[in-house]
Amino acid sequence: MATEVLWWIFAVATVLLSAGVVFSRSVLHSAIFLIGSLGGVGAMYVFLTVDFLALVQFLVYGGAVTVLILLALMLTRTDAKESLNGTQAPWAALAGAMLLAILVSASVAVKWPGDIDDAPTTIPLETISEKLFVDFGPPFVIASVLLLVALVGAIILARQEEGE
Amino acid sequence: MGAEQAWLLAAIPAGVFFVLALFGRYLPRGGDYLGVAAIGASFVLFFFVAADFLSFYDFEAHKTFITESISWSEIGNFKLRQGIHVDAITIVMFAVITTVSLMVNIFSVGYMKGEPRYYWFFAVLQLFVASMLLLVMADNLLLVYISWELVGVCSFLLIGFYWEKRSATEAAKKAFITTRIGDVGLLIGIILLWKETGTFDIQQIIHAAEAGEIGQTYLFVSIMFVFLGCMGKSAQFPFHVWLPDAMEGPTPVSALIHAATMVVAGVYLTARLLPIFEAADGALLVVTIVGLTTALLASLIAFAQTDIKRVLAYSTVGKLGLMFVALGAGSPAAGLFLLMTHAFVKALLFLGSGSVILGTHHNQEMDKLGGLWKKMPITGTTFFVATLALAGLPPLAMFWSEDELFASVNHEWGLWALVLAMLAVFATAIFMVRLFIRTFAGEPRDRQVHEHARETPLVMTGPLVFLCVLAVVSGLFVFNGVGSALGFPGGIGEFVFLEEPERYAIDWTLAGISLAVAVAGVLIGAYVYWGNSLVRSTRLAEAMPRLYAALRNKFYIDEMYQYVIDRGVLGVSYVVSWFDRYVVNDTGVDGSAQVTGYSGSILKYLQTGRVPNYAMAITLGVVGLTVAGLLVRA
Amino acid sequence: MVPLENYLVLSAVMFSLGVYGVLARRNAVLVLMSVELMLNAVSLNFVAFAAYLDPERITGAIFAVFVITVAAAEVGLALAIVIRLFRNRATSNVDEAAMMKW
Repeated sequence: MATEVLWWIFAVATVLLSAGVVFSRSVLHSAIFLIGSLGGVGAMYVFLTVDFLALVQFLVYGGAVTVLILLALMLTRTDAKESLNGTQAPWAALAGAMLLAILVSASVAVKWPGDIDDAPTTIPLETISEKLFVDFGPPFVIASVLLLVALVGAIILARQEEGE
Repeated sequence: MGAEQAWLLAAIPAGVFFVLALFGRYLPRGGDYLGVAAIGASFVLFFFVAADFLSFYDFEAHKTFITESISWSEIGNFKLRQGIHVDAITIVMFAVITTVSLMVNIFSVGYMKGEPRYYWFFAVLQLFVASMLLLVMADNLLLVYISWELVGVCSFLLIGFYWEKRSATEAAKKAFITTRIGDVGLLIGIILLWKETGTFDIQQIIHAAEAGEIGQTYLFVSIMFVFLGCMGKSAQFPFHVWLPDAMEGPTPVSALIHAATMVVAGVYLTARLLPIFEAADGALLVVTIVGLTTALLASLIAFAQTDIKRVLAYSTVGKLGLMFVALGAGSPAAGLFLLMTHAFVKALLFLGSGSVILGTHHNQEMDKLGGLWKKMPITGTTFFVATLALAGLPPLAMFWSEDELFASVNHEWGLWALVLAMLAVFATAIFMVRLFIRTFAGEPRDRQVHEHARETPLVMTGPLVFLCVLAVVSGLFVFNGVGSALGFPGGIGEFVFLEEPERYAIDWTLAGISLAVAVAGVLIGAYVYWGNSLVRSTRLAEAMPRLYAALRNKFYIDEMYQYVIDRGVLGVSYVVSWFDRYVVNDTGVDGSAQVTGYSGSILKYLQTGRVPNYAMAITLGVVGLTVAGLLVRA
Repeated sequence: MVPLENYLVLSAVMFSLGVYGVLARRNAVLVLMSVELMLNAVSLNFVAFAAYLDPERITGAIFAVFVITVAAAEVGLALAIVIRLFRNRATSNVDEAAMMKW
């Protein structure tokens, strides 16, 4: 029972923080809301007993990605008087609402098979590592190469070129 | 060398054509000697073929023809054979074609000297002769059609030989298109006959027609289509317009076209298929009427022409009409005899006029000629003989052939046709005398032309003399004694016939009338134009201005055709071109392009280039597809 | 125990908010943040499904790891592009970068 109350608190907080990201009138506030929102998702991972993933979430998102975003915000000065929303914002709201309606109705309408009633137990780290490095070995390597290439590309893109 | 190898006659000139066409320009003298040699070879071979055929020929034993054929192709159970068929008609045609072609070839060596494309002239001349020889020995209608078209193409090439001259190209096109109109009829006729009998073989079709295997109406219609082709080729009314214009070609070509090749093709084919014409009720009457109309019309028009070659052209049209009259009277003997004598006489006249044209430095207007006899004695004398021959005076060639014609016409159709035919002969006599007097006799109209005139070299006068001899003696072939002496079964009537040989017997009444008509014509002509004076003729023309204008303008037939083409053909073309321009092009082609371009110019504003818009489109697409999927499943 | 539907609805709400952010925001960095929201919603979905429906209960987590990896690469590249854009056009608004049109 206590878990459920706790879940609801975290869930509502995550939704509110996410809403803050997209509705906030300040870029900086949005970034801070994002950190919270991502943390909320991490907490959800804990509820789902995948502690390792929660750890990755906190480290990679809460740390690295957010820092990158804040850095970008600092490098690109934004005019405070400028509206943060585009002209198609009302339509965007409508599109989002429609998508939400579809997704929610689909989630609720379906009777999910094999609904496990008992509380999930924590998955040992060894199982995950074995799965990740043995069964998904090749995709893992490819993903790491992708990451490397992307970051090298990012450096080249962002580099100050001669004569600029 | 037997009659089975008669195909060599055509093969030799055809081979030389390829040699001359490909290498002629590199040969010394353009290879003209090759052309003369090729036709000379055909001429010599003709005697062997004729001798072989005559030794084989036996009417009583039904040995009247020799055939030789090879299998060409087989489609299902339809077997197509190509081959040659040598009989009396073929032999007569061979004689005419090889003789006249040889003379024309020799004459051309002198006449065409120094002309551009000298080798090409001789090359096409070979092909022309080869096609014509192939035509007269073809044993099936398909081969007839092929060589028929080859003859047409060659005439097109030769009439348009001076293609730098606009009038020459126009005349070549006119000749080709006019004869093509008839040729379409010929093709339709051939297909109709083939459809009913299942064969192209001429003898088999004739047998089928004579046995009544083909329905009367069907036979009549199909043979009339064939006759349409003959009319086109032989310049019969209303297709006669191309022949006078064909004078634009070099004069030897005119001689060839008028005497040996091209125009006689139609007469030949009609003679060849005469049994079918006879089997179809009324077909012979049509042939007779067409022939008479043409003969009278052309003889009248010739009065008012001043160009030597044009006068001769209209006289040819008239004589061709008489040939059809003879065939229409059911007498191939008269038709072919007339063809033969006319060929020699007309070749002589044309070569003679060629000699005049060359001797007076390319002058062919009678208004500037006159008094040339003394300057050009050989040309003048031969021309004089030819004129009298064409006028129909005995004992020259055409008197006898016209006598045959009158006899058969009188026998078949009676007085009315006889009178009309004689009228044409009468008119011919008058205008031929006019032509001769205005060219050779009396006072010269143009001093300068007269003084520079000179006789042409031997290479040209030689053929004239040879043809002149033929123009005198070839008519005697009508007598059985002459024919037998030459190895033939008898005179022309005993050699060429439809069913039974006919012995020639002179009808003194007819001959007398014919002679009277010819003499009257000559005398009237001589009276009106005596001394190359135009006083009497001008008075005559002023007395009948309307008639004179009509004659001068050839009864406005060309203008009428022009009008029909302008109003009818061009009118239809205008509508079609309007449809093409505005419906097909502007609406169909440009229209679709414009619709695409216009919609693109409007729709391009959808491409804002702003990323959020595209993202929005993707999202709405996902939503829309999901909803659509749900609706479909529901 | 919290039912699976709760996670799904939560992820749906996050995803929709992310979509709204991507469509509505002008600032490229804000758009990027919204994309991160969407990615996280998807990851959460994977993990939740795995925890409830997969007997091994682990494959979804692996997917989430890959999503995080790709997201990190994407963020790195995207921010480089944003910086580049800002340097060349003196703006980081996506609706002003409209050169690739008619």
